Amino acid sequence: MEEKKSIWKFGTREVVYAAIGAALYAVLTYALNFLQLPGTGNVTMRPAIVIPMFFGIAFGPIVGFIAGFVGNILADLLSGYGFWFWWDLGNGIVGLLPGLFSALIVNYRAGKSILLAELSVILGSGLGMGLASVSERWVSGADWNTVLVANFLPAFLTDIANGLVLLPLLMVAFAAVINRSGRG
Amino acid sequence: MLVAWNYHYRNSPMDHIDPRARWIFSFAFLFAVTQTWNPQLLAGLFAIALVWYAMGRVSWKDARRGWLLISFMLFSMIVVNTIITGGGAGGVVPPGGQLVWPDGFSLFGRHLTYGLTVERLWFAISQLMRILGISLLFILIPYTMDSRAYGATFSKLGLPDRLAYTMELAFRFIPSLARNLAVTLDAQKARGFELEKVRGGLIKKIARIAPLLIPLTMNAILSSEDIANAMDLRGFGQRKRTWLFALQYHWWDWVLIAFSVVLLVGVTVLVHALGMGGFAVPAWFYTFFAG
Repeated sequence: MEEKKSIWKFGTREVVYAAIGAALYAVLTYALNFLQLPGTGNVTMRPAIVIPMFFGIAFGPIVGFIAGFVGNILADLLSGYGFWFWWDLGNGIVGLLPGLFSALIVNYRAGKSILLAELSVILGSGLGMGLASVSERWVSGADWNTVLVANFLPAFLTDIANGLVLLPLLMVAFAAVINRSGRG
Repeated sequence: MLVAWNYHYRNSPMDHIDPRARWIFSFAFLFAVTQTWNPQLLAGLFAIALVWYAMGRVSWKDARRGWLLISFMLFSMIVVNTIITGGGAGGVVPPGGQLVWPDGFSLFGRHLTYGLTVERLWFAISQLMRILGISLLFILIPYTMDSRAYGATFSKLGLPDRLAYTMELAFRFIPSLARNLAVTLDAQKARGFELEKVRGGLIKKIARIAPLLIPLTMNAILSSEDIANAMDLRGFGQRKRTWLFALQYHWWDWVLIAFSVVLLVGVTVLVHALGMGGFAVPAWFYTFFAG
């Protein structure tokens, strides 16, 4: 396996990975929007949230952050929902946190790597969706109960469910791609 | 799958405003309006947002989808939470207050008591002015801003070239990734994959997305190698980038930027120096519930 370089590098490859990640997140969110959770306001199930998490794990925190932040902006622009800065930022953090773990993950198939990635999913979703939900306190004057029940819990629980299930699958597939393409 | 941007040229006043000036105004408005619950300030800001939205000349048919989402959000936040359940109103409304129906009311022959106060009702109106004001500004963006303008705009606003170009590139990738998604979906359907009939519990639903998600993601990563190599060969990042989409300020853009600064500074001074930011119910509103 390739030895990990600085997680903060942002060269040509990272520019392309971040753009691909953001576009993938936007297209998949747009396409899978019909998987709406009943009774959770504007929070959709969003299996596509695994994209910023995976791009963070695979290519570092900056790529993960941009995939989430720009991807969410693009998804909202495609759907005609407007621009919701704090939720965009929250989605960015969902990709950034796993990126901080990327230096520790060398073999994408190893059990320890997958466990670390799963931990990063929980931390990233908690922090990202926490920030986005709490922003409703000062943006719309929502009370703590609304912030917790209507905003944070549906977004956090669906994000970690999506991340915990889909991220290991993407990591194992990525390991196979690395081996087959001779990049390992 | 057809992915299309919602923007089209309408020859509206908004089409003639520089995107940089629009972002500056939108953020100045956002930071101004979120500082206050003062009824006069909120009403003034809401009126500004209405004028701004009208300048976009976006039809209901165009923006219907976005407004449905916002209506749902407003309903759950204002009607369900503030009016029906009265969940504390964000700690903004002091406890107690004047009841809207002090003696209760009759509905279908039954006498009911309900603790909605005039203060909470006014808070709901204030919330409506604030959230709707923000929505009026930001929902306009996808319909009135050319998708080719984003990269150049953020670069000219001071974002590093690499970050601005990432945004530009992401916009360009969307049509080809949407096409790849459609091809992958068709290929998997030919193998018996049924995305539209996803049944079962949450975990099962999520796991069944994998046959679509994994090939699409891995193909995108593999093809990005070629793009990165082509960019390197053309010397990407070696010098300051130029943008095909030209941006130029006009006098009205400077007026808008100056207005944005005055708006933000003015509201900040009124709220923090003169203490005008607090929640208050106008005296005339109580007259509706007197006696």
